[in-house]
Amino acid sequence: MAPTPMIELRQVNKHYGRLHVLQNISLTIGKGEVVVVIGPSGSGKSTLCRAINRLETIDSGEIFIEGQPLPQEGKPLAEMRSRIGMVFQSFNLFAHRTILDNVMMAPMDVKGISKAEARKEAMRLLERVGVADQAKKVPAQLSGGQQQRAAIARALAMHPDVMLFDEPTSALDPEMIGEVLSVMTELAREGMTMLVVTHEMNFARSVSDRVLFMEGGCILEDSPSEEFFLQPREERARAFIQSVQESRK
Amino acid sequence: MNRPEIQDVLYEAPGPKTRRRIRLFTILALLLLAGLLAAIVRQFAVTGQFQPKYWFFFARLTTWRFLGEGLVTTLGAALVGSALAFGMGFLLMRGKIRGNPVLRWLCTALIEFTRGVPTLLFIYFFFLIVPGTGWKLSAFWKITLPCAISACGVVAEALRSGVNAVPKGQREAALSLGYRETKLFYRIIFPQAIRFVIPSLIAELVIVLKDTTFASIVSCADLMQNAKVLISNYDALLSIYLVVAVIYILINYMLNRLSDRVARLLKGGGSAERRAA
Repeated sequence: MAPTPMIELRQVNKHYGRLHVLQNISLTIGKGEVVVVIGPSGSGKSTLCRAINRLETIDSGEIFIEGQPLPQEGKPLAEMRSRIGMVFQSFNLFAHRTILDNVMMAPMDVKGISKAEARKEAMRLLERVGVADQAKKVPAQLSGGQQQRAAIARALAMHPDVMLFDEPTSALDPEMIGEVLSVMTELAREGMTMLVVTHEMNFARSVSDRVLFMEGGCILEDSPSEEFFLQPREERARAFIQSVQESRK
Repeated sequence: MNRPEIQDVLYEAPGPKTRRRIRLFTILALLLLAGLLAAIVRQFAVTGQFQPKYWFFFARLTTWRFLGEGLVTTLGAALVGSALAFGMGFLLMRGKIRGNPVLRWLCTALIEFTRGVPTLLFIYFFFLIVPGTGWKLSAFWKITLPCAISACGVVAEALRSGVNAVPKGQREAALSLGYRETKLFYRIIFPQAIRFVIPSLIAELVIVLKDTTFASIVSCADLMQNAKVLISNYDALLSIYLVVAVIYILINYMLNRLSDRVARLLKGGGSAERRAA
């Protein structure tokens, strides 16, 4: 028997009014796998990412996390979400608290971990992502890159089994993208299961195991990264890669 | 900290012609103001308002003690009334945001009702109707409760606008970490919402304070009521009202300054430090 996949989607559908934004999506992500989702805007890749921790509800189909169906509400859903880390395009650090508080709060509030322990762990994580020296500042005082690294530390503080990244570098100035990607690369090397929605082709090529190409609510291609970049099966995927690479020149 | 003034934001910088025109109108306005003031003083003199019989009692300590007692009652009613308004407003806001449809409808109705009905009607209710039901209330509560009720709907809406102003991402981030609704609200949303609306809450405190001047209707000895007693004692209407008006203006001015400072502290704090760094 094959090992239980970390994330499994079975025939997931979602509509926004008349727009069929997820069309019969089936997908499995194994433990330790790093999967990148690329595709033009409006293709449903963010929705796919957000459906996995139910920030977006789905109309039909099933989602399993380590073999357990994703709960629909209440305490079971909150507990499941606490096992799934999420990093947002706009960082979403808690604006009224310091960076250190941002990383300490959820372990204390949600898991009931003691303050001393939460602080120790938070400082360790901030050290790891390289913003420990900013611990006492509030988010607005940090650069975008620093904020996003702190947001990654905040998600890691819950010791998630899987991390979702929803366009983590799209809101960043170009010179700050690298620092965030290197934290993510390190995380991938350590064996974290990751689903990354991104336009960073170099990251996709060098770090990910698999690439999903989405368009119009469908996964058009699901290939190992090397294969995908050397010879994409889909004509549209090829065109998309080309257009992204040209815009980066 | 160099905050842009509102006119810098709304209008372009004036050119030489405009500057000349502004100067001209400023001088005209000042002249007009001076003329008005002179006319008032003249009218005071003509009608004999400067006569010592209208002013001598302000040299007595008892006068000030009497007004002071009234002021304490006024401030007490305003503070207790505001605190009650905040509590009730908070509950109404929670009911309107969450809660089941029935509760939501009820809270919306209560908010609209308390916002729409003038304070004076609530005061008459507590003055004329409530005693008939056998509910014995002191004069203090007969003014404080209606003022609080009259303000709570506005407070509820202010708090709600603050909650709505918190970016959606804050909620999503907390949900993704495993927060549940109640804790999420008290730990993440409300602390940010209250920062947005503190200035309008303090503005509401000013309105409650002004509403307490109706206290004389229910024979509560607030500043206004005591002023009226002085007026009938000394037969001096204008001088006493003038002094009392100045006291009210001073208090409300201080509250408005406080509101400005708090707003600047909460909003500007972070970005100012960043600019300095």
